[in-house]
Amino acid sequence: MMFRETLPEDCPPGAADEIAEQRDVYRLVASDPPTEADFRSQRALRPTAVFSVSECQARGLSVHTERADSLRAAKLPRLRGKRICRVRLLPGAGYLQQTGTPSHHTWWPSADFDILAQCEAAMS
Amino acid sequence: MTTIRHLRTLYFYDGPQVIEARDAIGGHYVGVLIEPDGAHDRFLVCGVAPDRLREFRIGHLDLLALLTEQDESRYFLATVTEALSEPLHLTAIDHEADIQGYLPDAGFVLHDPPIEDLTLREAHDRNTLVLNIAVDPPEANSEHRIRVSTLVGLLNNVQTLLRHAYGAALRDLPAAARRSIDRTDAHLMDVVVPAASGSFRIVLTASRASDLLGHNELARALERVDAMFDDIDQPEVVLERVRTHRGHFAGAFLRLLRFLVVHRSGMRYGWAQPGFSAPRSRSISQAQSLPIVELLSGVSNLGSESITLTGILEEADVTRRTWRMATDEGKVTGGVQESGPTLEGLRLGAAYEFSCIEEIEFFDGTGQETRKMILTEHRPR
Repeated sequence: MMFRETLPEDCPPGAADEIAEQRDVYRLVASDPPTEADFRSQRALRPTAVFSVSECQARGLSVHTERADSLRAAKLPRLRGKRICRVRLLPGAGYLQQTGTPSHHTWWPSADFDILAQCEAAMS
Repeated sequence: MTTIRHLRTLYFYDGPQVIEARDAIGGHYVGVLIEPDGAHDRFLVCGVAPDRLREFRIGHLDLLALLTEQDESRYFLATVTEALSEPLHLTAIDHEADIQGYLPDAGFVLHDPPIEDLTLREAHDRNTLVLNIAVDPPEANSEHRIRVSTLVGLLNNVQTLLRHAYGAALRDLPAAARRSIDRTDAHLMDVVVPAASGSFRIVLTASRASDLLGHNELARALERVDAMFDDIDQPEVVLERVRTHRGHFAGAFLRLLRFLVVHRSGMRYGWAQPGFSAPRSRSISQAQSLPIVELLSGVSNLGSESITLTGILEEADVTRRTWRMATDEGKVTGGVQESGPTLEGLRLGAAYEFSCIEEIEFFDGTGQETRKMILTEHRPR
């Protein structure tokens, strides 16, 4: 599979699942309607930054499987004011791995997946 | 200038958003990610009371309350100029009014609803893998008590089972993945609560640190152990499963069950990582252990493991029937049984492939294991 961003070797990790069935996830976005910039990884946004997570993790996107968890995240100062976008992941949308809390997942989108076409209008 | 060190990430979203840190004398701090300072991440940092921090970690306290409840709260800014693993220098904020834009909104809790399950709560509180074992030997029937030999034996058997389960799990990984994981033959878990309330209960955590998201490689071992305890009411099914794991892991499983039978105890355990929504639990009673032990005891060489060694032959004593080989993973010594192949004709300094059977002798009192490598076949490389 070709990914939206260049990934290091062994990324996504073996524990990540290829998205084979349709499912919804929620991501915090800055703009309404969302733009491509809302789905760029931390590495893409800050190419020279030193991150405290693995390079693979830094090139993935945080999403929640429960909308309530995204609502809660938006209470934090750095994420305040962001809107919640529901993304319908279709088969072939990339790889997904539960990381951290039960609802938090890291998503490595495939190059072919048109994210914005599957992103429902931002809900505050 | 006060310096703190990142201890664990309490909340992650596109990077650490809420962190826990300590200063040089053990003071507790919480940091919340705020707007960056140019290219560098920045945290609002506040000293907090340990018990209130714990309340926050298990979902009983709101972050805003944690940061603002103290009468004389002192706030700092910490800029991450290197990695978060490097020391963070704190700069005091003089005017409390300056922090208003940096505080979280009310209602941010780490878990909703708060965690009540003991195992899960410990996993979140410690941000790592936690194993909770409960046993019910006869001495614990009337009071909260356990014999030293029972406790020591239980811990040794559980640690050994985990070590071999971990080894078996790692062997099934691709070589590249195996190299990236820290392999250890030392202890894998530490006791952190030696006698929790309830039946005689012990809480252990992974000795090695978990990753930033709380995942610990030891989970691979516990998943293997869970599988061994499935269908525990059907000894024949257990036998078939153990046969597929023939080797040290199977031997350690049998020793643990034998230990439970001898000490007339059942065992329950649960384990969790911070990412779990519920602990994973298994149990076995003494009555369930007995038929399995009887069945497994009838299988020969259950705990032996076939191993192939490749390396340079350094020593070969034809009379004593002993040998030593230097492999990529270190020097290995072994012997040959009377009925085994001869060492005559082997050239010291030459490369060989040795097919061996490794047997383990386990000492109940100390939990130590002695490995015996027996050569069954050799061929030049």
